[in-house]
Amino acid sequence: MKTLTRAQLHEIYYYLRLNRRVDEQLTLLYRQGKVVGGVYSGLGQEAVSVGSAYALEPQDVIGPVIRNGGAMLIRGYRPRDLFLQYLARQDGPTNGRDANTHFGDVARGVIAPISMLGETVPLMAGIALAAKLRKEKRVALAYVGDGASSTGPFHEGVNFAAVQKLPLLIIAENNGWAYSTPTSKQMAVRNMADRAPGYGIPSAIVNGNDVRAVYAATRKAAEHARRGGGPVLIECKTMRMKGHAEHDDARYVPKQEFEKWRKKDPILRFEKYLAAKQQMTAQEKAAIEARIDREIREDVAFAEASPFPPPEGAARSVWADGWK
Amino acid sequence: MKSTPPAKGSKRGIKPDAATLARMLYYLTLTRESELRLEQVLYRQGKIVGGVYVGRGQEAIGVGAALAMRPGDVTLPCHRDFSVFVIRGFSLADIFANWLARGDTPTRGRDNTLHIGDLNLGVIPIISPLGATLPVACGVGLVLKQRGKGNVVLTHFGEGTTSLGDVHEAMNLAAVMKLPVIFICNNNQFAYSTPTEKQYAVKSLALRGPAYGMPGERVDGCDVLAVYDAVGRAAARARAGKGPSLLECLTLRMAGHSAHDAAEYVPEKLKLAWAKKDPIQRLEKFLLARKIMTKQQIEELHKRVHQEIDAAVAQAEARPLPRGEEAVEGVYCGPDCWWERREVRPQK
Repeated sequence: MKTLTRAQLHEIYYYLRLNRRVDEQLTLLYRQGKVVGGVYSGLGQEAVSVGSAYALEPQDVIGPVIRNGGAMLIRGYRPRDLFLQYLARQDGPTNGRDANTHFGDVARGVIAPISMLGETVPLMAGIALAAKLRKEKRVALAYVGDGASSTGPFHEGVNFAAVQKLPLLIIAENNGWAYSTPTSKQMAVRNMADRAPGYGIPSAIVNGNDVRAVYAATRKAAEHARRGGGPVLIECKTMRMKGHAEHDDARYVPKQEFEKWRKKDPILRFEKYLAAKQQMTAQEKAAIEARIDREIREDVAFAEASPFPPPEGAARSVWADGWK
Repeated sequence: MKSTPPAKGSKRGIKPDAATLARMLYYLTLTRESELRLEQVLYRQGKIVGGVYVGRGQEAIGVGAALAMRPGDVTLPCHRDFSVFVIRGFSLADIFANWLARGDTPTRGRDNTLHIGDLNLGVIPIISPLGATLPVACGVGLVLKQRGKGNVVLTHFGEGTTSLGDVHEAMNLAAVMKLPVIFICNNNQFAYSTPTEKQYAVKSLALRGPAYGMPGERVDGCDVLAVYDAVGRAAARARAGKGPSLLECLTLRMAGHSAHDAAEYVPEKLKLAWAKKDPIQRLEKFLLARKIMTKQQIEELHKRVHQEIDAAVAQAEARPLPRGEEAVEGVYCGPDCWWERREVRPQK
């Protein structure tokens, strides 16, 4: 497997920083009372989204869930798309109908997140099946959290993909908590990856806060899947650094947990790596930050200036009349 | 095909006494002959309402498991576990009458086959959407755990069922909450016409046990003594508060999925190989070799079983069909509907 070039390392850094800035901006908008609904942050988990999505090819398809905003950005969505969504504006991907990240696009290879967590897995298995039947070198990547892995659909999807030897990758994102349920109350095994032998599929456990490790594991698994080796489960160990959503202060998480994981911050860790390997100068870093600042500023302004959907259009796309 | 080693911390060797061995042969024989009567005679005579599902070749699982139960234990058998119903106390006549859709059966003519249950006998009826029983078993397990009397719950299901989401949710919950559930998988190698290669990609379903954090064991499902021992050890673990276990009992479905399925998709060679492992022949050989029973005693047992079945079928056939006026009873619940008048007495 080829090593990442300097340009690629910078791209990864850009996406990590952009991911976090979008989250921070959304939190700000939420606190300003401008968001319709809840805001779910992926703070601390950026390396999982970015490392995995960056390892895919253009023809691959992802099935993200709510904390995988970084993956959606890599597939071609812009910060304004997320802002328009949360601000419920007409020009957002769902025309103001879903004030969250439940949007996707076949052209970008993004399947809209499904609120009923776990359901993404059999759906992505279906996409992988299509790829296999069409003899395409396409991989389907499903993101699933520790909580979602306890659901029936997760089981059915993984088992089906295993039997049919489908090119399905499962990013098992273990962030320690499913709302207020710690993993110790979620499963009686230590790792999500311990499920894999029960399906007869290979697995890997990686440090979810090491973007290069996530990238390498996803790349290797994708090659295995493309060769016809069947599904792979990659468990990425990370930590949910905030509550379940902005309205949850996470008082049930021991304070030491946050402190412990703050030291393992994925962006800090990557910056240390880039500095140690002299892969990014101070000017290059400043340039990336300036680019992100400008993008965020422009996209927030764009979103805030965007019109709300007209009330007359509320029933559009509810009934199928006129649908071709 | 060997059994896997016993789970850590438990030695093999729960040996039934002579009386239990005799009971084993009786129940195995009664099950085999009753199901033959159902499938080969009554069904062909057009006397059964609906389909007939038998567990030919797999009788050792129900017998070995049910005989390992203690008072207060609960079981959720499936459609191939005829013996469990008899062992727990349903009368043979009642069972045949249910197949014949008579009016005074446990389901009052409303549901045939083995969809019968009785909380007083510790039997929860089969749920047709297979797999749905496993989370129910967890609910039972939770109650038994809370009561703290060391009781366990057994839940039977096939290898096809293991692909269902309900099974995953139940096994995970049981393991996390350390519920006294014994998951008994009858791997008879075919789910209707789906062979195991198309059902799962793991080498043995017993490996799913550790994937949930519980012991998993593969058992020779055609050896009633092996099943009795494995269930007994799993029950001992559960009674001691150590939580659930998964037992994969290997058999072969020796009949079709149901009486209307000729099962031509099952290779003849496979059937011949597994016919040699017949659980009844094996136990008879064992009993004769150890001089626990004589040939004459075994023949007499066969005779008695046939007489019992004849009597039960005659009794069942003599019972009236349900009356048309009763059809809506039990559909809507009113204050004097028979459902409201039932009593559930605490188990002995």
